Amino acid sequence: MSRDPLVVGNVIGDILDPFVKSATLRVLYNNKEVTNGSELKPSAVVNEPRVEIQGRGTRTLYTLVMVDPDAPSPSNPTKREHLHWLVTDIPETANASCGNEIVSYESPRPTAGIHRLVFVLFRQSVRQTIYAPGWRQNFNTRDFAALYNLDDPVAAIYFNCQRENGCGGRRYL
Amino acid sequence: MWPHEQRDRHHKGVSSSSSSSRCSPSSSVLPQTPKRRTMEELWKDISLNASPPPPLDYHRLQADSSLHSPSMVLQDFLAGPLNQPLYQPQAAAKELLPPPLQTALSLNSGLEFQFLGEADQANTQSNSSSNNINGNVANGSFTSYDFSVGPPSPAALFSFCSRKRSTTESHPGAADRHQKRMIKNRESAARSRARKQAYTTELESEISHLQEENAKLKKQNELLMRSQVAVPKSSLRRSSTAPF
Repeated sequence: MSRDPLVVGNVIGDILDPFVKSATLRVLYNNKEVTNGSELKPSAVVNEPRVEIQGRGTRTLYTLVMVDPDAPSPSNPTKREHLHWLVTDIPETANASCGNEIVSYESPRPTAGIHRLVFVLFRQSVRQTIYAPGWRQNFNTRDFAALYNLDDPVAAIYFNCQRENGCGGRRYL
Repeated sequence: MWPHEQRDRHHKGVSSSSSSSRCSPSSSVLPQTPKRRTMEELWKDISLNASPPPPLDYHRLQADSSLHSPSMVLQDFLAGPLNQPLYQPQAAAKELLPPPLQTALSLNSGLEFQFLGEADQANTQSNSSSNNINGNVANGSFTSYDFSVGPPSPAALFSFCSRKRSTTESHPGAADRHQKRMIKNRESAARSRARKQAYTTELESEISHLQEENAKLKKQNELLMRSQVAVPKSSLRRSSTAPF
């Protein structure tokens, strides 16, 4: 019985509640698709990825959130979640660049530990104005979704990232 | 390297007098019988250290594992009775910790001639060259030729400090620290396992998905090929040109 990687990796639990996937989310860094739970180097994720959404085929708009729940370190996530990217009004079968970038893309640069970087996709019922939070840290995806009436997420994907030269998981006490 | 030691030790063990033609005079100062006993323990220590590989995470593979395994041994030992040490029982660990320091001196005398050339290099590396060379044998935490490792001295000091701490464990804060560290380590290990499992399940589901798609496409392909053959091929025929 295989479980959802999002559950196994604790994304559902730490950041999201269980949801039913109703759209396909593809995230491509340098034209390479991100596999759920894979590991990427900071050098590979410096620039914003291409995001492809396949949903019901209707004229719906989507909101994309990218957060790091393991800031500053997974054993001590006091700044959970760190907001890396927030784009709204993304039309279907279009790139995220067609949407409204509320919070610009910040390259992940984990210093301690192995961080999860999570993309969450919400379906917007209407074209709405979403305001950027005052700061990136201590963002809460659940509260954000509740605040803007975004319903449950429709898709999510995550990857792992640690310091460029490795050793992100090991400290000398 | 090791056959040399074995021969040396055999010589020393057999002859009651400590004078051996190959050894430098400094070896004659040390007594014989304790050397023989600790030698066996030393070999036990070496074999115990050599056999089980340390449980490194994938992200730690490029790190200097040779440094970490002995520190992990010590930390396991220091973690207290709750932790199951991976390499050796704690009683043996306690015994083994002081003797290698003694035998370090004895080993150096035997190996001095062989390693004279390299010893000079090792001397520049750290002040205790004897420990450096014999550490290779005794506790494996130093590699005298491994200059590429960044901070060997802090790690070496750390292992030395923890060795001292191990003998005087009556400090009340030490137990708490060990507990905390153990808990943190457990959590980290659990996260690591979850990470690995998540990736594996994702790959498995992707595999099954791709297999289905592949089967579907193959069937489609077959159908298309068959339908193509059924329809008679329209070959080229002259219609308005003369056949000459």
